[in-house]
Amino acid sequence: MDKKMSIMVVDDEAIVRESLFHWFKKYGHVVETASSGFEALEKLETYPFQLLFVDIKMPGMDGIELLEKIKTDYPDTLVVIITAYGSIESAVSAMRIGATDYLLKPFKPDQISLVMERISVQKRLVSQYNYLKGHLEKITRFDNIIGHSQEMEKVFNLIPEVAQSDTSILLVGETGTGKELVAKAIHAESLRSHLPFIAINCGAMPESLLESELFGHQKGVFTGATRARKGFLEVVSGGTLFLDEIGEISPKMQINLLRVLEEKKITSIGSRKPLEIDFRLISATRRDLKKEVTEGVFREDFFYRINVIMIEIPPLRKRKEDIPLLVEHFLKKYCQETTKYVDHVTRDAMELLRHYEWPGNVRELENAIERAVVLSKSRTLRVEDLSFIRPPGLQFSQTLPLREMEKAYIQKILVENNWNVTQSAKILEINRVTLHKMIKRYRLERPEG
Amino acid sequence: MTSKKKSVGVMPLGNISEIALQVIADHIAGCFKLTTQILPSMEPPGVAFDERRLQYNAGIIIEAFESIHFGNHDKVIGILNKDLFIPIFTHVFGEARQGGKCGLVSLFRLMKNPDGSAPPESLIHERAAKVALHELGHLLDLLHCEHKKCLMHFSGGTDEVDEMSLDLCEYCSIYLQDKLR
Repeated sequence: MDKKMSIMVVDDEAIVRESLFHWFKKYGHVVETASSGFEALEKLETYPFQLLFVDIKMPGMDGIELLEKIKTDYPDTLVVIITAYGSIESAVSAMRIGATDYLLKPFKPDQISLVMERISVQKRLVSQYNYLKGHLEKITRFDNIIGHSQEMEKVFNLIPEVAQSDTSILLVGETGTGKELVAKAIHAESLRSHLPFIAINCGAMPESLLESELFGHQKGVFTGATRARKGFLEVVSGGTLFLDEIGEISPKMQINLLRVLEEKKITSIGSRKPLEIDFRLISATRRDLKKEVTEGVFREDFFYRINVIMIEIPPLRKRKEDIPLLVEHFLKKYCQETTKYVDHVTRDAMELLRHYEWPGNVRELENAIERAVVLSKSRTLRVEDLSFIRPPGLQFSQTLPLREMEKAYIQKILVENNWNVTQSAKILEINRVTLHKMIKRYRLERPEG
Repeated sequence: MTSKKKSVGVMPLGNISEIALQVIADHIAGCFKLTTQILPSMEPPGVAFDERRLQYNAGIIIEAFESIHFGNHDKVIGILNKDLFIPIFTHVFGEARQGGKCGLVSLFRLMKNPDGSAPPESLIHERAAKVALHELGHLLDLLHCEHKKCLMHFSGGTDEVDEMSLDLCEYCSIYLQDKLR
């Protein structure tokens, strides 16, 4: 493990700052100094210092106050308190608040070495703990599926249940909700987990290609078939086949797959010899297949064959309480990938993320966080870093007087809530009587029908 | 192509025995393969004396000497028999800044064993040579090393100085060669 650390020395006495600065430099640490608590907090905003040496007695913001702020905003940052003889009591209270250690100045040179050694051991243990915790979370929380909302808990509970059986599963959810991740989690939990998991996006390829990909073909059956090729239905042998965008496949392909599911046999293109196959099918769609069955667009028999168990994956707008957790997860992910360090989100920025509707769901949120991390210039994401997110409801293509804007917005909320005044007033955070007055003032009328 | 050998001046600050100075200069020449010269004596600046602590502030002495031109010498090691400190520490055996020009070695605490007894003169000289080489290492940008026997390992007491060898570990040797190239 690398023992080099990023250290900040916070002391109002220049001579102490300088001594410690040169001392830590001798160990190859990255060292910075600050002459006040305010300056230290400013520097912490821009750089993730791992360890701070803080003098307890400083004008303005004293060491204890600074320690409290650090422990609230940057709980992972370690703080060693420096104090003079005679202020042991403050050192004890600092330890209670969360200081890692304290030094009474002037100290013997080997005392600081001992403190650094203890910190190094602690750092190693924390890093081991985080690694194991992360590993455990991965095992128990189905890899990258993040969420603690009631809706997601339902999905989490269903995964191990359905994984044990061999029945076909249909995952229903809007684009970007993480259907493939759920499919992978089901596969990982199933008895087939040691066998292949193959994912095919049916909407991304034309019918002829999809047929050849699934069933395989013999050499020379069509132009370009220079050699025989096994289809995914054969390659998957024993594993799980995930067919994304199943609603996009043609009626002919629906019949072919229905036959495969019923007979558990395939015949590759150009061959007459049927081959026995074994696989578990998980399909996914963002379309309302039930409706399409009623309309005659999708085959009913095929629908019931693939839809033995249906799992609905909620859109992000219906589980907004998961957004902070997802943001934290993606921040960690993209900090590792981009080697940038962004670990904070201001309250306003989080509010913006929570209020946006996320039509592209988790995938859109992930892309937004990646973009913001790449472009961010400090360790904290602010509203300015997310300026590319424009809540559709707040977009106005033309400039309107405030009165007109208020009228339009109230009308929009009323329409969205089917003219339920109580509900609309709640959303607008005004009381019902006020809303009635505004409806009257703006002469808003409920459309007929 | 060979580069010019670096030259180190060994400068007594006050009245220091010639043998001690010679031992230090010889060790620098032998261990780091550098040219050395014993310089005429100077007095440590009076402003460096801290009346409250009755010790000399190493940082102030170094700052004063950094501004002096010492002929052709790339680095200068000052030797004194006064007790040295830097503000955060109770004492230091020596002091130098990473990549700086002047370093200091104090014989004051090297003349006592941890149990308070007086060591033989030869041991004091050996300790002084080790501290001088360690501080010169910092002047040549070497960092503190984790290997307990390495010259660049930090020693808080004379027992640790005695435990340290007169050699650099494999890694610090390579680093030094790079720095001297």
